[in-house]
Amino acid sequence: MQRREFLKSGAATGLCLLASETGVLTWFEAQQSAGFRANAYIQIGAANQIEFWLTRCEMGQGVRTLLPLLLAEELEVDPRTVHLHQPITSPEFKEIRLRTSGSSSSSETWEPLRRAAASAREMLIDAAAKQWGVERKTCKARDGAVLHIPTGRRLNYGSLTPSARVLPVPKEVALNSKDFRLLGGRHRRIDSLDFVTGRAEYGMDVRLPGMKYAVISKPPCFGATAKSWNADAVKELPGVADIVPVSSGYAAGIAVTADSAWSALRGRDSLQVSWEKGSGESFSSDEHYQKLRQATTTEGFLVRHDGPPAPEAHGLFEASYEWPYQVHAPLEPMNCTAYVKGGKCEIWAPTQAPEEAQQKAAKLLGIPPENVTVRVTLMGGGFGRRLFTDYVQEAVEIAKSVAYPVQLLWTREDDMRYGHFNPASFNRFVAKLGPDKRPVALLHRIATSDLSIYPPSSPPTAASYAEDWTPWGGYDNPYNFGELTVDYSPIASPVPTGPWRSVEYPGTVFGRECFIDELAHQAGVDPIALRMELLKPANIVALGDDLRLDRPRLLQLLEAAREISKWNEPLPAIAGRHTGRGFACNIYHGATHMAQIAQVSVDGGGDFRVDRIVCVLDVGQPLNLLGIEAQVESAVTWGLAAVLKGGVRFAKGQSLLSNFVDSAVLRIKDSTQVEVHVLPSTMPPSGLGEQPVPLVAPAVANAIFAATGKRVRRLPISAADLRAA
Amino acid sequence: MAITFTLNGKSQSVDVSPDMPLLWVLRDTLNMTGTKFGCGMALCGACTVHINGEATRSCITPISNVAGKKVTTIEGLSADGNHPVQKAWMEEDVPQCGYCQSGQIMSAAALLSKKPNPTDSDIDDAMSGNICRCGTYQRIRKAIHRAASMAGKAHSAA
Repeated sequence: MQRREFLKSGAATGLCLLASETGVLTWFEAQQSAGFRANAYIQIGAANQIEFWLTRCEMGQGVRTLLPLLLAEELEVDPRTVHLHQPITSPEFKEIRLRTSGSSSSSETWEPLRRAAASAREMLIDAAAKQWGVERKTCKARDGAVLHIPTGRRLNYGSLTPSARVLPVPKEVALNSKDFRLLGGRHRRIDSLDFVTGRAEYGMDVRLPGMKYAVISKPPCFGATAKSWNADAVKELPGVADIVPVSSGYAAGIAVTADSAWSALRGRDSLQVSWEKGSGESFSSDEHYQKLRQATTTEGFLVRHDGPPAPEAHGLFEASYEWPYQVHAPLEPMNCTAYVKGGKCEIWAPTQAPEEAQQKAAKLLGIPPENVTVRVTLMGGGFGRRLFTDYVQEAVEIAKSVAYPVQLLWTREDDMRYGHFNPASFNRFVAKLGPDKRPVALLHRIATSDLSIYPPSSPPTAASYAEDWTPWGGYDNPYNFGELTVDYSPIASPVPTGPWRSVEYPGTVFGRECFIDELAHQAGVDPIALRMELLKPANIVALGDDLRLDRPRLLQLLEAAREISKWNEPLPAIAGRHTGRGFACNIYHGATHMAQIAQVSVDGGGDFRVDRIVCVLDVGQPLNLLGIEAQVESAVTWGLAAVLKGGVRFAKGQSLLSNFVDSAVLRIKDSTQVEVHVLPSTMPPSGLGEQPVPLVAPAVANAIFAATGKRVRRLPISAADLRAA
Repeated sequence: MAITFTLNGKSQSVDVSPDMPLLWVLRDTLNMTGTKFGCGMALCGACTVHINGEATRSCITPISNVAGKKVTTIEGLSADGNHPVQKAWMEEDVPQCGYCQSGQIMSAAALLSKKPNPTDSDIDDAMSGNICRCGTYQRIRKAIHRAASMAGKAHSAA
């Protein structure tokens, strides 16, 4: 395909991959046109077309539907008529975040985007009122036009663009806060036709004239470096172009470029590299787990200690829970296309972090960041994996040494071994019990690894961890245990670690919510009832300057979850199987409140099924119910994959995963029925893409206990474990 | 040596190594990128196409095996996304990141052509080779049932 056609098809998916035959064309130059550019987000053309620059990246979470809804609500247009552009890193967006992380796409655009839309709308109303010579309060915006209410006269936005563009931008605009026209409804994805016809373009679908494909031969263990390789022999192979050493990613290696991905893969098969192994060779996850376990027997960083000193204990209760390493395995493997020419660099990348991609590429090439243009493509899944730009840097490094555009591809095996992982953690709980067997003090010790991709700038302290709310799920424990001590021990390892859907929460919440279930059983109390006791006094707990734990809001949610899930009614019997329900809840970053009730059935041989998971949530003002349900179904399935199939083991300094043959992911036959109940709220919207993940493991483990009397304290759960327990 | 086959109803000739998998011929030789690479070992289903009507993983199918056969890819499943499976997918709002959906749709379309009214267990059998990391399985199941009833209605109306 020629570049022009490529650009055309890019535009068809709304990706707007603007480029010229001659090289880099900045966004700004490309957008010179007669229209009303109200702000960085919005341009209205003379023919009434609404152009919208979407300031988040699409990885499946639905921002290409949600953000147009936010815009359309205030701009008074039909969201399905809005033409979407993906911003490139350019001065226009310098003050606007494009990075897509932390489940913040709705909470962080909710105000500024609606403000941008409302301000454009007000300018259009001003323009119409002037043109008609009427009072502006007699005019209103509706359906892409300004209406003069007394006379019914109408001017569409396009016809107002010449006059609106010269008006001052209003300083203050009023935002609609209730009786939404669109928000809170059920809206299907705007772009699904592209997905069901195969037209949607991902990073791996970028095609440029003269482009070659690259794959990298990577080392047999952490920290190994290539000493020698048979470059000349491999260059002789059909289709192979160049052999380029690469060292900018997580693992150094040798790249093979060729005229098709297939030729590059074959070239890599023939590449013989002799590696010098480093200290990483000795790493084994089994030993690491032992270190984590050991670390919870001694004091670490005291990140939280509050409540009155515990009275004399009438008993102690202790349990520990193990969370294994996890892999992301998004279905589109890592890839990036880069072209370096004449002191400039163009990048096409499925990335959650375009700003970082730009910075890192500039640093690598020794050129100013403004000479690097990053074009974000659709992502075949992100889940935190594409927050780090290792694969972008690798592509740029290869492109620097060759004269053609190059598309770097990772294979699935590369993905399973050479990315960053969710770190393993070990959570130890010791409760002092009062005379009624209720807890009067809790010690929660967490041993895990800091995320290696975000190293601290100076030696960390208890205060610096607490400032990051680390460890999430431990530091922000919402319950009143009397005296609460949260202690954190980071244990280093050569495994690259980074964000994985819900980041620090999964291990801590797994432990905490299972431990409460165990405490409830010890005390002979219903697990929801014990949680309600522990949420008294029902006050708002202030931690540091910026974290508030709203116990009344969580209590209200627990009441609702108990009703909705019919918690107090017996489960229908299933012949030959024991059934049980388990409960777990959490407040995620002080914002999203959620409970899950898992329903399982287990037979005598330990074969178990998760029959249903009910998720009740308070996510603030719901914006798109259909999108919320999709995110919950997705995140619950993600969490269930970790519970049933997850966990990564390492031996001799290497991940033991190779491809999907080692499970790691869930298939349709193992999936469960997810029921979503969204509580009404007028609070600002909060995040949702990650929030359901941490509750799945404890809800399922607690349900297994209810069904069988067997405790699950490590993952993944296997039938063999249930038989042996 | 050129290999000739029928691609989405049209005759297609390619001059590539006979062991080159169909997936890479589609993606890199013919620039038809709707069929996706996910694993390279027939484990994820992202590369599913129809060969003579059978759902087939193109990543492990050498192009030489395709000579003289009829290949349908997602681009050729319907003229404009109007196959019952595609319509049902949009109505049930299935896609999230969408990367696996070409393969999911091709597997579902092949299933329905053999079993017009599949049970949940038929769906598990036919679709368990297609991984969706976004976890759209619940909606995939609903969409297959919806497509079945859509096709059934069209049939009884005809």
